[in-house]
Amino acid sequence: MKKILMLCLGFFGLYAREIAGKVPLVSKDMAPHSGGDLLVSSQMIDNILHYQTWGELFVYLQVHWFRLLFFGITVGVLVVFLLHYLIIGPKKFAHSGKGIFVYSIFKRVVHWAAALAFVLVIPTGFMMIFGKELGGGDLVLTARYVHSIGTVLFIVSFIPMFLMWLIPMLPSFDDIKWFLMLGGYLTKKKVVVPAGQFNAGQKMWFWVAMLGGIVMIGSGAMMYFQDFHLSILDRFGLDQIDLIRVAAITHNFLGMAVAALFITHLYMSLFAIKGSLDSMIDGYKSEDEVRYMHSSFYKKLKKEDKI
Amino acid sequence: MSYARMKFYCDEERCIECNGCSVACAEAHELPVGISRRKVVTLNDGIEGKEFSVSVACMHCTDAPCEQVCPVDCFYIREDGIVLHDKEICIGCGYCLYACPFGAPQFPKDGAFGTRGVMDKCTMCAGGPEETNSAKERELYGQDRIAEGKVPACAAMCSTKALIVGDEQEVSKIYRKRVMSRGKGVQSAPYGWSTAYGN
Ligand code: HEM
Ligand code: SF4
Ligand code: SF4
Repeated sequence: MKKILMLCLGFFGLYAREIAGKVPLVSKDMAPHSGGDLLVSSQMIDNILHYQTWGELFVYLQVHWFRLLFFGITVGVLVVFLLHYLIIGPKKFAHSGKGIFVYSIFKRVVHWAAALAFVLVIPTGFMMIFGKELGGGDLVLTARYVHSIGTVLFIVSFIPMFLMWLIPMLPSFDDIKWFLMLGGYLTKKKVVVPAGQFNAGQKMWFWVAMLGGIVMIGSGAMMYFQDFHLSILDRFGLDQIDLIRVAAITHNFLGMAVAALFITHLYMSLFAIKGSLDSMIDGYKSEDEVRYMHSSFYKKLKKEDKI
Repeated sequence: MSYARMKFYCDEERCIECNGCSVACAEAHELPVGISRRKVVTLNDGIEGKEFSVSVACMHCTDAPCEQVCPVDCFYIREDGIVLHDKEICIGCGYCLYACPFGAPQFPKDGAFGTRGVMDKCTMCAGGPEETNSAKERELYGQDRIAEGKVPACAAMCSTKALIVGDEQEVSKIYRKRVMSRGKGVQSAPYGWSTAYGN
């Protein structure tokens, strides 16, 4: 109970501080803030940088929750997919004929650049979280460097991917219907699934990877640069070190979502739908697959006489 | 065998902001430019009667938060309470800095391609996990004065004896004597002690 309270306290900490009024404390370079009517007392220095709000919350989460949640979510997702594979099994579609051209070479290159970035970033992220088990040292230190290199690659692939898929990834009515039947993944039968070029699951991944990706880049950059100055912080009365603490907390929680959906994405494209990987290699998707899994898209193509 | 519990105490009534401690530390351990394991801060700057300075470094906390959050578990806490870490295991992630109430951990930019390297902080002049007084210990962590029975460089150099370090019982005794002879104010724990040592 006390812990839940602390958590809530943390999240509302910023707001609470607005109410409590601003207290000029020392910032990262140890120089005191200017202005304000309350003075720093010698007793308050151990509060350096509002330790009681964000510092303690960070310690609490890192000590008790982050590792446990990462472990639980990853194992949970893997178990669910293993069971899905064993009980329901993959979907197979006829791959005869030419197929439908869906991904231009540009789209494929952009996709694989982003894919490589994630392949670099996600496992190294896990390596740092479970650094204890790996013994730390050069191995995990290298993982930390590779994590940053992967981020650079992700930044590069981010804008083209966002622009090329923005329109087809916008929500539609099909998405609600898709969620109601969970994309037809809970039945062995081949059912007609309501979806346009992308289904609701794919859209979810797109938005988590893109919007979540920006936040991951931003929070990661704060931790990477560590010593930066944003004058806007003074306006919010937030100390730079507290911003990094918030960034570290955000990066961990959001990282769980990105990692979980990344594993999902791998499962769907490598295992759940046999042969779906081909579309990202040669650009062609089986007509049978599109007819069932992207029925609205199929009807649209039919109407336009494209197949 | 019983050990001392080593603690720092900086008397804000005595500190004259000469930065002697900070310089002594940097010299003793040959710290790279830009790294100050110990810093002197002045608060309420220019406000008459309210201005004071204190010298801050790692307090070597009880149940040190840095030790608790470290993802690679590279800290170890000596029997005498000194909090040290192993630079060959540290990955320079910065988590200890986020966990520290005193802003003690620092990160020299000596990693690959001039990026952030592994963590550096005050060792209370007790070196590190390498062999005592070996060249490697000195290179990575600085002097091991405690092993030689010497007072840490900062406190040894402090001209007003604002900064003192030693077994908690002795430090408390000096603190109480000072508070009494000044004959004012409520007696509270020395600066930083409640956060660092729990009361
Ligand atoms: C090794 C890793 C990856 C593999 C094997 C992989 C595979 C695939 C495949 C086969 C498709 C086409 C699905 C279809 O339309 O039938 C696809 C689409 C897509 N990929 Fe990846 N991908 C990987 C990594 C990534 C990463 C890291 C991102 C994030 C930036 C990403 C974002 C997307 C998006 C947004 C789509 C379109 C929606 C979807 O089909 O889910 N992929 N991927
Ligand atoms: S002062 Fe900071 S670095 Fe030193 S023991 Fe306490 S938490 Fe750790
Ligand atoms: S910077 Fe080093 S000592 Fe600090 S938490 Fe990270 S690995 Fe541990």
